[in-house]
Amino acid sequence: MRAFARNYTSNSILDEHELLFIISLTLMLPHQKEDSDIIQRIIHKEKDALYLLYDKYSAALFGVIVRICQNQELAEDVLQETFLRIWEKISSYDPEKGKFYTWAYRIAKNKALNAIRNSDTLIQREDLSVIKDKSHSKDSIDISTLNGALSKLEPHHQEAISLVYFRGYTHREANEEMGVPLGTFKSYVQQALKLLRESYKIGVVLVLWIMKAIG
Amino acid sequence: MDNESDWMMDKEHIVKEGLLEKFLLNELSSEEAKRVELAISKDIELKNQFLAMEADFERMAFENAIPPPPHVKQKLQNAVERKGKLIDLPKLSLGIAAGLALLFALSTFWMFSKWRTAQRTLDTLQNQTVVMQERLNLLEENYELTNNRLQIINSPNTIPFVLTGNTKAVNSRAVAYVNHNNKLVVVNPRGLPTLPQNKTYQMWSDVDGEMINMGLLPTDKDLVTLKYIEHAESLNITIEPAGGNDHPTVEQLISYVTL
Repeated sequence: MRAFARNYTSNSILDEHELLFIISLTLMLPHQKEDSDIIQRIIHKEKDALYLLYDKYSAALFGVIVRICQNQELAEDVLQETFLRIWEKISSYDPEKGKFYTWAYRIAKNKALNAIRNSDTLIQREDLSVIKDKSHSKDSIDISTLNGALSKLEPHHQEAISLVYFRGYTHREANEEMGVPLGTFKSYVQQALKLLRESYKIGVVLVLWIMKAIG
Repeated sequence: MDNESDWMMDKEHIVKEGLLEKFLLNELSSEEAKRVELAISKDIELKNQFLAMEADFERMAFENAIPPPPHVKQKLQNAVERKGKLIDLPKLSLGIAAGLALLFALSTFWMFSKWRTAQRTLDTLQNQTVVMQERLNLLEENYELTNNRLQIINSPNTIPFVLTGNTKAVNSRAVAYVNHNNKLVVVNPRGLPTLPQNKTYQMWSDVDGEMINMGLLPTDKDLVTLKYIEHAESLNITIEPAGGNDHPTVEQLISYVTL
């Protein structure tokens, strides 16, 4: 997939890039419209709208929180606090400045980092390589492995993104963790982002190709 | 132009230093974040780049999502309900407090006006009491005087003498009450005509041909107590200069009575 992405990039022309970008944004538009309706309802203190938003985003946010906290109970509390914060501060979210998910991610990350800072002396952070879903005790999710497009990247690219995005490290902390200079680490992140971008673009192309084939 | 080039450098700097991803990951100071936010809002290319990065990160998060246990949602719902009540409760308490404060203010005002009225009534009553006391004192004094005089006049040992005016004062008349036991002389001068301001009536006792001063007779008094003179043979009234005289002006004798 990665090789395909690279080939695709090298052969593509600028207009195609722009076209793909516009298409991918267009595909996101109904999604955003739906969110802005829900957000408006939350501003008017409709609790059901908050629960809709929870249903939609809680798993994505919990994936981040649990990887930062490395402790399931703490992560559950942080997730709850994150949504309470969203409930209270939703009017300060400005869609012009970014997507709702980015705003919620920042809240979740802050809450999780504060929680582990405050709980370091109180709760022993478990070595949580495997998290058990209490409702389905047979299933277990390995939080140390990553899925999707990220899992297709080179290990150093995966680790760079994982540290800054899923583990809550700053660039400076992460480059020390990986034992590489900061400049090198920055380029790892940028290369990884570029590869992700290409990978997702291919997804859009495939969707278009299928649509075209059906049409 | 300079501003634009500065800004372009800023954009280059943002891209080169990976500030877009740091901004997304909330790693920037608030000042840096504002600068990046401004740059994104001004430059469509930068904005598109940021939007794409947001979308990629979101997609990556969804690919690595972990569904939280259902009880977390339940706990959230309980917490939201509780918060709703907590918000309502202060509002309700605030309403009650405001009501109580208003009631307190009104009752205080009512009590205050009542107190003011009571204070004014008390002041009036106190003033009236003082006036009444003064009047009572005056009445008591008058009563004592009148009673004394009545006792003197009514005493069986008191002899009344009427002094009628002579040709010099035809219609004048005074009554003298003489009590030899108590050695008292009281005269009612009301019947004497009013004199000019520089004149006064004066009474004299005749003892062996000598006129002895008994005192002045102001006509504005009901009863005037005079000096009792032993062995007086007659009582005489003369008109004298204001303030009285050491010796009677015989020419001005208007009345006399023999005891």
